[in-house]
Amino acid sequence: ADASVLSVVNGCDDLCVSVCVSVSVLMCAAMCSEAVGVSDLLDRASQISDKLHSLSTSLSNDLDSHFVPVTRLLMPRPSACHTSSLQTPNDKDHALRVPETELLSLVRSLVLAWTDPLALLSSEASALDHPANSIINTKAKELHDQSKTLGEGLEHLVSKMGSSGPSISLLPLFESNDLGQDPTSRLVNFHFLLSCFRRDSHKIDSFLKVLRCRAAPMNPDTC
Amino acid sequence: MLGPFRVLQLLLLNLFFHLLAEASTAGFTPPGKPKLTSCRSPEKETFTCWWDPGSDGGLPTTYSLYYRLENSETVYECPDYRTAGENSCFFSKNDTTIWVNYNITVVATNELGSNHSDSVEVDVAYIVQPNTPVNVTVAVKEDDQGPYVRVSWEKPPKADTSSGWITLVYQLRVKLEKERDWEEYDAGYQKVFKVFSPRSGGTYMVQVRCKPDHGFWSEWSNTSYVTVPDYLLKERYLWIVIGTISLVIFIILTWMINLKRNSVKHFLLPPVPGPKIKGFDKQQLKNGKAEDAFNALVIQGFLPASDYEDLLVEYLEVYDNDNQELVDGGKDLQDGLLKSKCMSDNDSGRGSCDSHILLMEKCGEGKEELPVEHPRPQEVVGKCSGPMEDLVANTAELNTSLVHTLAPRFSPSLPSQINKKGSPGTPTPISEKGEKQKRELHNSSPALSGYSHINNEFDMNGLVGKRDPAAPAFRSMEYVEVQKVSQQNVLLLRPLGPTPVQLAAEDYSKVKGVTSDNVLLLQSEQSRLRISDCQERGEQEESCPRQQHPQAGKLAIHLPSNVIQGGYVDSATMIY
Repeated sequence: ADASVLSVVNGCDDLCVSVCVSVSVLMCAAMCSEAVGVSDLLDRASQISDKLHSLSTSLSNDLDSHFVPVTRLLMPRPSACHTSSLQTPNDKDHALRVPETELLSLVRSLVLAWTDPLALLSSEASALDHPANSIINTKAKELHDQSKTLGEGLEHLVSKMGSSGPSISLLPLFESNDLGQDPTSRLVNFHFLLSCFRRDSHKIDSFLKVLRCRAAPMNPDTC
Repeated sequence: MLGPFRVLQLLLLNLFFHLLAEASTAGFTPPGKPKLTSCRSPEKETFTCWWDPGSDGGLPTTYSLYYRLENSETVYECPDYRTAGENSCFFSKNDTTIWVNYNITVVATNELGSNHSDSVEVDVAYIVQPNTPVNVTVAVKEDDQGPYVRVSWEKPPKADTSSGWITLVYQLRVKLEKERDWEEYDAGYQKVFKVFSPRSGGTYMVQVRCKPDHGFWSEWSNTSYVTVPDYLLKERYLWIVIGTISLVIFIILTWMINLKRNSVKHFLLPPVPGPKIKGFDKQQLKNGKAEDAFNALVIQGFLPASDYEDLLVEYLEVYDNDNQELVDGGKDLQDGLLKSKCMSDNDSGRGSCDSHILLMEKCGEGKEELPVEHPRPQEVVGKCSGPMEDLVANTAELNTSLVHTLAPRFSPSLPSQINKKGSPGTPTPISEKGEKQKRELHNSSPALSGYSHINNEFDMNGLVGKRDPAAPAFRSMEYVEVQKVSQQNVLLLRPLGPTPVQLAAEDYSKVKGVTSDNVLLLQSEQSRLRISDCQERGEQEESCPRQQHPQAGKLAIHLPSNVIQGGYVDSATMIY
């Protein structure tokens, strides 16, 4: 009896493989259908961007809770953010007039531009001279992870939508390797960088939600 | 040359201006520092800033708002001071740029100077606070689980959610009118919300607000009221089923009790036995004709009044002879008969059985019962008199109590087993005692006494048997022997021969004594004849004393107190 069972199991292998392949093919085919995929992907992407912005806001608040007023004075102006060179729509009418692909490429550029700075932030967070150090560290790391996930999703989305990626030359560069030499300047730079990201994450979130509603305009819930 | 009047005018003017100049500097100050209180954007397209003016220094003060965008140094002044009201600045769409810092300052100016507020950095993206939701409708709806409250609303008019520019989440809060605390519910992106299982008959207050995905909560909408009508709980079906089952059970129980009505009545209220007299017509009594009712009980021809004395006389034949002893026959037979009659009537109390005969009452003598066994019409004595009294006198001397026979009950019906034969009646056996010695009384068990006299003339209803026309009217008594007592307490009689009955000494029972509570103790060791022997011998010569079950040696006969008088015992009253 045992032998017969074993033989059945062995024989099953080939069968199982063929079944698995066919199933995966079917699933791919299902997933590859564009109409369903894009709106779902956009929905997923906007969820991540929403979370990203919420995290950055809460991290900013944590920093502000023990912020020494003098550091605020030392903070550079927001226009000094490295992504300020990236031209994005600044009001609704503008934003609604931008075609989807362009908008998506814009979003993707922003996300890509922040990959390295966020990595820096998460690495520098532990050495920060701040009482809420551990919380900041945790959140910074999660920030980094989420932005990476969003980047991957956007890549997928771009390939699905068939648009070409943004030209690499236009990507804003983040050249700094560290936040500063002394704790105060590190803290100040950390805070500044975070504020820049907070704004950009808001942009990303807004644009993705516009794209979401544009892809599925009859969505009764959100649009 | 100025006249003095002119000089005076100048002086006055000078003074006036001087005063004016002083007045302007004394108590009037440059305006206080204004303060920007808040800036809000309801739809992420426009925004408004409000400030707090501060003191105006007593002079008319003007306020101006100046702003600067982050990248340029150009200072702009507020484009619209009016739209948003006092001390406000409204930035229209054209003047609004998102994701750009505004550096805003308010300057207060009056005659004496100006003052400017602290600068505030504002990014429109972070100050979004929508207006309250509109068209909040609250209604009570029904579904198969019962009623529920359905709340619906619409987004604030200016928020552009369809393009996705702004995404709103909603929240509502509900409370009963008389409660203190609100219950908050998150509705998410929906514009409809259902509150289930509302309080029956309660009035609810509902408010709704909204929030953009990253921004501030709006104000609560105006309160909407809704009253829930009274309704049964959704378990009403269960209650209906329970109610129906209870009703059915109740009906069944009622029907069962109805069927067993009598048993229940007997159980709860046991019947009190009441006197019932057979042949007694209550209706006649109610009609007021009591005599008729009583007369109905009287057996016609049974005991004519004229024969009353004869009966008595007949009965009172007392033999003086010592040897001659009279058997008290029939007394107990009759009694037994009567008793059998009694037994068949369940509702009769014993009193009716034991009711001593009308004769007794007529006699009026309470001393003893006169055993009138064989009523003979002619011989019935209307009153107690004569020999009867002698007997009474004689027997009074006797030490032993006499066992009298009991006159038969004048029951209209006798069991048909009684055979009537005409026979010369012999005197009622009365055991008598001589003056000197004790008479032994024949102690026959009353129920089984051997003989009974039956008058031919004993014309009772239902009596089977005919009159023997040959029988002399006078002595038409005959003896009947009790053959046996059937199971139903019916005495089976057989007629005896005409010979008088003589009893041996051993047929009598000696009364041993009378206890305090009227129990007659008899000695029974003397009777040896058994019932079976008696039967074998036939009924001719001897009486068959019917013994009761041989007992330890004594027979206890309970006598009611009214029987024992003057030493005479009326055996008819003995109850076995």
